[in-house]
Amino acid sequence: MRVRLTLALVDRPGVLLKALEQIALNGGNIISIIHNRDRITSGYVPVSVNVEFPDPASLERAKKGIEGSGIPVIEAETLEKEIATMILVGKADVDALIRKVEEHGSKISALHLTGGVESPCLKLLVEAPHDKLRPLLSSLEKLAEEWDALLITEG
Amino acid sequence: MIRCVILGYGFLGRRLAKELALNRVEGVKLVGIASSKGHIYREKGFKSSELPEDITRASDFREGSSLELVDGRLADLLVELTPTNIRDGEPGLSHIRRALEEGMDVVTANKGPMALAYEELTGLAEERGVMLLYEATVGGGMPLISLQKRCLMADELLEIRGILNGTTNYILSRMHFEGMTFDLALREAQMLGIAERDPSLDINGIDTALKIVILANSLMNARRKLSDVKVKGIRKVTSEAVAAAKESGMAIKLIGTASEEELSVAPRLIKLGDPLCIHGTLNAVNFKLRILGNLTIIGEGAGESTVSALLNDIREVARARSG
Repeated sequence: MRVRLTLALVDRPGVLLKALEQIALNGGNIISIIHNRDRITSGYVPVSVNVEFPDPASLERAKKGIEGSGIPVIEAETLEKEIATMILVGKADVDALIRKVEEHGSKISALHLTGGVESPCLKLLVEAPHDKLRPLLSSLEKLAEEWDALLITEG
Repeated sequence: MIRCVILGYGFLGRRLAKELALNRVEGVKLVGIASSKGHIYREKGFKSSELPEDITRASDFREGSSLELVDGRLADLLVELTPTNIRDGEPGLSHIRRALEEGMDVVTANKGPMALAYEELTGLAEERGVMLLYEATVGGGMPLISLQKRCLMADELLEIRGILNGTTNYILSRMHFEGMTFDLALREAQMLGIAERDPSLDINGIDTALKIVILANSLMNARRKLSDVKVKGIRKVTSEAVAAAKESGMAIKLIGTASEEELSVAPRLIKLGDPLCIHGTLNAVNFKLRILGNLTIIGEGAGESTVSALLNDIREVARARSG
């Protein structure tokens, strides 16, 4: 997952290195670094670091590590959407399913039904921002439970 | 010489007794065997030719409680192999508890007591200064607990994910490769002796949940119970669902997960190239570590391979007690 981290750095040599160490320690691959020197405020330089993290947990650990080094993380913006495959086994209300996905700022990009009325099986491709995917999956799990259906997700 | 008794004389008990009677572990002598009906105790030890198939037919068989082999300072090491009971862990829990109280070292393959009373039993072992080893409770002969405790102890284990039940993996594999229905694949597994006559513990995900609790408590320092695991089994997985997964380059696998956030067991979509995507009765476990990254172990998770884990734990006790 690609993320833009905006950090407030004290304008002193070595401070950025501390933050980059935390990113690397948590599996982050740094794509680019932009110093916004024209936006220095109260001695702090906003720095945008574009990073590819293996998963949301790595991002969270890196954020904690950076803040633990005394560097405030102003923003962590997800730059890409994630595409997740899921299979719903059992009878489902497709309208309710679509509404729930949209409520989470996500969309269904493909939907495929097999098994007919007797043994319905819905395969969905869902596009969701990284930070929305986990809460979306949790909501869909609850819906599936209400329908006595089985939701099978990646993982 | 460490005097060893085996409680539980089923497949594992018989296989292990044979290995011990052949002196496969130096410094350990098998002196007692017990089943639910009674026991045999031979102070001089057993030769492999003297091991009975059915202990009740031995001339020195005595009816009575297995605990008679634990009480009375007749042995130094208990190997507890009675069947897993998820309701209250008995009789294994009482066997292990009493042995630890008596100052005996314990090696076990019994998941029930370790999943239901992990904190009590490990606390008791520590208090009495004895060893309690249970590698054989999870993943058969695959080194998981000893691997983490020996080789990975300085790293931070962030997540455990894996296929921990060979029966469900066999069923799902047959559905994946042969397009079988769940019922047919289950019946085949039962005919081959892979699934039990009552397969509910396996297919409802409880067996995997017990193993996830043991791994989380023992390797992630968690204090979790079976009731803390969100469990979904594979009973509702249809051949249509398996085919839909296959079309997307994935397979459905029953995956147990332990992380700081949650413990869960559920059928999941696993990419065909993922190291966890193994088939047949194999098990696979992935450790996600802060520094090392991902480490996957694959192996037979039950049956004969479990004897390897038991022998290793027994050797560990022998080594500790010889020095």
